[in-house]
Amino acid sequence: MKQKEYIMHLLAEVSNYVLEAMPSRMVISLHQESDGLHLAVIDNNERPEDELESMRTALNSASRPEMAEYYGSMGGTDLVGHARLSLIGWQIKHADVTRRDKGTKIDLWLGSDRFDSRQFNIPSEEKL
Amino acid sequence: MLEFEKPLYWLMGLSILVLLFLGIAQDGFQSSVQGFIRIQSHPGRLINDFTLVGGTGGAFFNAAVMTILSLFLVRSSGIRISGPTLAATFTIMGFALFGKTPTNALPIVFGVVLAAKLAGKPFKNYILFALFGTALGPVVSFFIAEIGLGGFSGFVAGYGVGTVVGFFLPAVGIVMLRMHEGYNLYNIGLTAGFLGLFVAGVFRASNMNVDIEVLWNREPTLAHQLLVPLFSVLFLLGGIIRSPNKILINQKKILKSSGRLPSDFVDSATVAGALVNMGLLGLVASGYMALVGADFNGPTLGGLLTLFGFGAFGKHLRNTLPIFAGVVVATLLFGKSLVAPGPILAFLFATTLAPLAGEFGPLIGFAAGFVHLVMVEQSAAWHGGVDLYNNGFAGGLTATLFVAVIQWVKANKS
Repeated sequence: MKQKEYIMHLLAEVSNYVLEAMPSRMVISLHQESDGLHLAVIDNNERPEDELESMRTALNSASRPEMAEYYGSMGGTDLVGHARLSLIGWQIKHADVTRRDKGTKIDLWLGSDRFDSRQFNIPSEEKL
Repeated sequence: MLEFEKPLYWLMGLSILVLLFLGIAQDGFQSSVQGFIRIQSHPGRLINDFTLVGGTGGAFFNAAVMTILSLFLVRSSGIRISGPTLAATFTIMGFALFGKTPTNALPIVFGVVLAAKLAGKPFKNYILFALFGTALGPVVSFFIAEIGLGGFSGFVAGYGVGTVVGFFLPAVGIVMLRMHEGYNLYNIGLTAGFLGLFVAGVFRASNMNVDIEVLWNREPTLAHQLLVPLFSVLFLLGGIIRSPNKILINQKKILKSSGRLPSDFVDSATVAGALVNMGLLGLVASGYMALVGADFNGPTLGGLLTLFGFGAFGKHLRNTLPIFAGVVVATLLFGKSLVAPGPILAFLFATTLAPLAGEFGPLIGFAAGFVHLVMVEQSAAWHGGVDLYNNGFAGGLTATLFVAVIQWVKANKS
């Protein structure tokens, strides 16, 4: 898959997942590094710890090239069913899911480890 | 090899031994090998029951060889054996009783290898396309055994065309998957049917006969009747022994899943859970077949083995029973026999639509099963029977219809 299509699939699937909880804010940050790509998605939806854990598990699933190539292509194309983070998990290097203020931050690394995502957060009310 | 793969390889090995033992016990070794050789040059289009062509021994020998080759392909490409590979392997074993042979599968796999090369990806990324894609084997057999090209010319033509259709499988398969959004478990059935429309179109334009003929064994032997129940008990016991205290917990996890592609029960509910689920499905479907007095022959064993394999990859009792019910009611309502080839195969293979019942409930599942029977009885003629997964083709069309309507309702609901 070409880089642009690949990114669009990932963006669409992770956005689908985040939007299912109907947050009032969602921030997407995408940074292309020389040796990879970092995608951070932040929302203002507070999730219980068990959901965060299941998100971590789905996004950090073991490498499954046969599944990534075939079924991974469904990522971001679903219109009927629920979003599935495992479709992303097979295709990325690593993911972090953390609680941030009153929301959740999802970091997806697709190659680069150098990017510091701490500088990104939901803008405060005053800045908006 | 990962720790959890070992029992799966052991069970697969035992299954192959059971297959060979039953076949050879029925027909003897020499006759089984002769039957196997006869099958290689026989047409593979729907519906050719290999238990009639090569005898039980020959057909079972062919299935064993195909299973060994599939496992070799999985192992040598470095892919783990789990839900999708188990489903693919048992599907291949089943369809090797009525259409697939090593002779007609090879060029399809080679075509997928070429596609992977062109895309600059390792073959293991495309292995599921190659394994399931052998559904188009009859295209190869058509040139070797049906149009009278004969010997070397037939092989060259068959292998050439087979390689070309294999080459297109990954590209088309991904697009087909998006059409039904994973609600048709036999996605390559839809893909192969779609490609088959073009292939059959060319055949017809060249005045070649692609009419459907049915070769159906009505006198199955004890070996046929024992095969799937034996596998089911083997896998059920394997699952129970591996994790005796978690049978209910694992089954609960599996039953909660919609089964939508890709639902790998080995991942989500452990190896033991997947094995128990496979065993349960095999026993229930075999029980139904025995109850209605259906023939346990090549095609129906193919259906049972496919259902059994997908017990690790999307199917369970909650999402299959409504589909079964829909097919049975449609069969009776249209005045057909429950044991006629079309309806009994539709019963077994319509479970390709299980995710619809799993996600949207038993009523939708029932309706999908009902519509499927109507579709599947027509669709084989469209592609001239070159797509062995005709139910996957009809199921894909049915799933696409349901997904489109559900999506429209969902989008416009206030």
